Amino acid sequence: MKHGYKKSFGIVLAVVVAALVVTVVDQRVKAAGEGSITGSVKLNGTAPHMKGIDMSKDPYCAQQHTSSPATLENVVVGANGGLHNVVLYISEGLSATAASAVPSDEPSFDQKGCMYTPHVMAVDANQKFKVTTSDQTTHNIHPLPAATSGNIGWNKSQPPGAPPIENSWKNQEIAIPVKCNIHPWMHGWHVVVKGPYAVTDDNGNFTIKNVPAGSYTVTAWQEDLGTQTAKVTVAGGQAAKADFTFKAK
Amino acid sequence: MNSRLPQMTYAAVIAGVFAFPALAQAQITEYQQDQWLHTAAITSHVGNVTGDGSGAEERYRRYCQVCHGKMGDGNGESAQWFEPPLYPKPRDFTLGVFKCRSTPTGTLPTDEDLYNTIGRGMDRSNMPPWNTFSEQTRADLVAWIKHYSPRWQTEKAGPPIEIPAEPEVTAERVKAGQEVYSRVQCWKCHGVTGNANGPSASTLTDDPGHPILPYNFHEGRPKCGNSDTELYKIFMTGLDGTPMPSFSDNIKPDEAWDLVFFLRTLQSYPSKAKEIAEQLHLKPLNPDGSLPK
Amino acid sequence: MRMWAQSLLCRKVRLVPSFGAALALVFLILASSQPAHAIPAFARKYGLRCSACHESWPMLNFFGQKFKDNGYQLMNDRDSPIWQNPSYWPATMRMTPIWHRVSTNRNQVDVYTGDTVTGTTEAKITSSGFDLSGLDFHTAGTLEKNFSFYLLPSSDPTGAFHFESVFARVDNIGNNPWLNVKFGKFELDNLLSEKRILTLTANGGIYQLYHFIPAGDNNIFGQIGDNQLGAEWMGHSANDRTRISAALLSSNDGSVLLPYGSESYSAFFAASQAFDFGKLGVSRFGGYAMVGEAPTQWLTNGGSGAPIPGSGTGNKGYHREGFVGQIYFGEHADVTVVTQHGWDSAWFGQGYGDFVDNPTATCANSTGFPAPCNNLPGTSLAPGSRAPTWNGVLVEPHYVVNPQWILLTRYETIRMSQQSTPGTPSDLGNVTTYTLGTRINPFMNNRAGFAYHAEYNWFHQDGTSPVTGSNLTSSELLFGFDFDF
Repeated sequence: MKHGYKKSFGIVLAVVVAALVVTVVDQRVKAAGEGSITGSVKLNGTAPHMKGIDMSKDPYCAQQHTSSPATLENVVVGANGGLHNVVLYISEGLSATAASAVPSDEPSFDQKGCMYTPHVMAVDANQKFKVTTSDQTTHNIHPLPAATSGNIGWNKSQPPGAPPIENSWKNQEIAIPVKCNIHPWMHGWHVVVKGPYAVTDDNGNFTIKNVPAGSYTVTAWQEDLGTQTAKVTVAGGQAAKADFTFKAK
Repeated sequence: MNSRLPQMTYAAVIAGVFAFPALAQAQITEYQQDQWLHTAAITSHVGNVTGDGSGAEERYRRYCQVCHGKMGDGNGESAQWFEPPLYPKPRDFTLGVFKCRSTPTGTLPTDEDLYNTIGRGMDRSNMPPWNTFSEQTRADLVAWIKHYSPRWQTEKAGPPIEIPAEPEVTAERVKAGQEVYSRVQCWKCHGVTGNANGPSASTLTDDPGHPILPYNFHEGRPKCGNSDTELYKIFMTGLDGTPMPSFSDNIKPDEAWDLVFFLRTLQSYPSKAKEIAEQLHLKPLNPDGSLPK
Repeated sequence: MRMWAQSLLCRKVRLVPSFGAALALVFLILASSQPAHAIPAFARKYGLRCSACHESWPMLNFFGQKFKDNGYQLMNDRDSPIWQNPSYWPATMRMTPIWHRVSTNRNQVDVYTGDTVTGTTEAKITSSGFDLSGLDFHTAGTLEKNFSFYLLPSSDPTGAFHFESVFARVDNIGNNPWLNVKFGKFELDNLLSEKRILTLTANGGIYQLYHFIPAGDNNIFGQIGDNQLGAEWMGHSANDRTRISAALLSSNDGSVLLPYGSESYSAFFAASQAFDFGKLGVSRFGGYAMVGEAPTQWLTNGGSGAPIPGSGTGNKGYHREGFVGQIYFGEHADVTVVTQHGWDSAWFGQGYGDFVDNPTATCANSTGFPAPCNNLPGTSLAPGSRAPTWNGVLVEPHYVVNPQWILLTRYETIRMSQQSTPGTPSDLGNVTTYTLGTRINPFMNNRAGFAYHAEYNWFHQDGTSPVTGSNLTSSELLFGFDFDF
């Protein structure tokens, strides 16, 4: 089993490397100026039922959802089948400089109503982010990066009123699960990418900004449905279009 | 019993979701570990003893491998029989994640931390105290287990947390410690009386997803030692790989000592703090975790 | 175990205190079979390999010694059987099929085979063949945290059973490792445990020092190697570096039903300290002493002078004392050294003592006429009788090639320093023996033990051949498959 797995991993790796080489060679000319990639991500098929969450173990949490019961957020579908919380990033074609550029803004990952807001947070490697709490109950924030990713997990408590925890991730990792052990239903994701990225809004729309002109492979990642890719060419100062469709499981 | 079912479902969902990224990662190979063994990082320094990893293989095989496995991945032949939470699974050294540290959460432990763990053992697990070993053997084994994880190749041990000198235990400090216990909500897992029966206690899982029990202050020693300083370190560094987080952002060093004193009052062991609590007729927290009137 | 040892030399009966015979006691002590303790039941319970507790099964290392001293507990709060699967039963069986070749230079034989009148002389007998050891059926463990037990029914190779070891122990009383009390039949707190000996031959499978009785001496007790009935207090530091024990024993040599004295007790003391010598590892040094009394005078019944078991009075003294060192030179080499000085009352030296088992034996006394060996009122020893004393040393180096392979050798010698009867050759009964052996464990797991065993022993005793009082020499070559599960 193990050997078979390794072997197939090796083949996949070889294919990816080959593809990379081809792509890089293909990228001789780049236009000046930065454009963007916009589009939407849709779900084809019936949206799966998201189970309700029983928060009765912590009355504070339960009280935050008296009007509308909390549900799992693995697959959230908005208007016209738009998929929420899909991360879009450029998986191939970025120059080293563009890939290593780190945005200066600081996304935050809030604990609110004993849920993570956002459920999926995308950040650049080495980009600072904040973990905040809006709750009057203690959480512990516990990201679990994979052992070989080079990212290091930690586990910190955040009682009510605690100051934000500021941190960053060193390496690209898609994706790091985050959990709260005190509230076992709480799980979210930190998606660590290199280069420009976007996360779809409630209706599945996105815009990846600050993309230098060039030809790219854009990958869309959804926590339950996996990934989709699309080839996109961005002209200087222009908005390129890319749409994705995931098939419901 | 029924009330446990929903949590079981969540645990299954979470485990399923979390399994995906783990699979996407390359595995550590024995060849890599062998390369790491011969790097400068694979020594240890404890006091004036220098541990040599390359000489420890036979002792690892003799004492450790049956649980921790040939590759240090915690998959020795006995591991399959340990059923968490009553018998926790053996530590997976390839992760480079350790419970008992003097260093902040997310950092590697010091050599001395690992050395102490070997000698102290892990209560309520199958890890016995290997305190009959010579200092040299323990130091050699510390170096040896460091060759299993790539973390030791790229990182250094974290800076040990600063621990101010232990103050005198007073009634005020015991009461202040109870306030901390209430404020940072230790009771969510450990229970308002320290009986490990807090509302979240039954739902806890460790990083690999195995069920795990919070420490019951009335039964035995904490996992990482029972001295005042060790108690201090447990909640200020967190037990990485378990649900126990670090509270260092939320508890000031002086308050931390208050909490240590209050924790002593929950334990069955005699202590000065416990005497003080008895004199005070200190009431336990209310069932909702608030302070007693 | 090791009952095949009796094959040629050993007879369960105690011999008349003639020069030739009595010393036979030396190697035959094995008359009481002596199982080695090795409990895969513990390996199974805790999921550890044999090698965790055994330097080489069945010999303990310091970690195994600590486990034993804690009452078969790892001290991890999971020691009570309530943490085990309900079907768990802490039992294990050990037995060893062997091939051996045994040769003894001087055996008592008829001058003319089949002629019982002409008399006897001595001849060499050598025999070889496939054989079996006895069976050990160990059950041991904890009844509850800090309550441990040991029960070992053991058989000789024919299947005849006896209780080799039976005790219950209250451990860590008040959470204090210095307070452990044991009650029953148990091995004395010998740092070098004969029950965990790495050798299996008749004379190499015991420590001569633990069983030595001078030629002609008839002390029923004094054998620190045999399991004894009594109570023991034992204390140790948390890491077992310091250990100390004291036991009060009935002077019955482990025999049940009070067969000897009406009120005869002995005591055994042991203490040791281990030191960490850096790269050399941990070494242990200690001492032991046995001080006791055993009866010489017996009530009789029936006019025939038949002794009444349990009626023995007229207690006389004896003692044994010595040093023990377990010295390590890194993880591969170590040597164990045991010394002994022994002293028996002149009464024992003159053959008094074991009248119950040998009611027809005769002893010298001050009248000049031999009489039954019963110290009846008015009996006094022959003039000039002295207390026999001796000194001995055992040296056993090991080379642990790896956790699955050990090479060992042992040299033991015992020299009489004072014979009981004036004029006796000063070397009578002196013992010298060499043993060479190796054990290979082809696998290591947490369920069972198995060793390929090879051993050679050479044994020599001065002046104790059965007829002529010449030097007695025997040798044994043994191969076996030693297993337990």
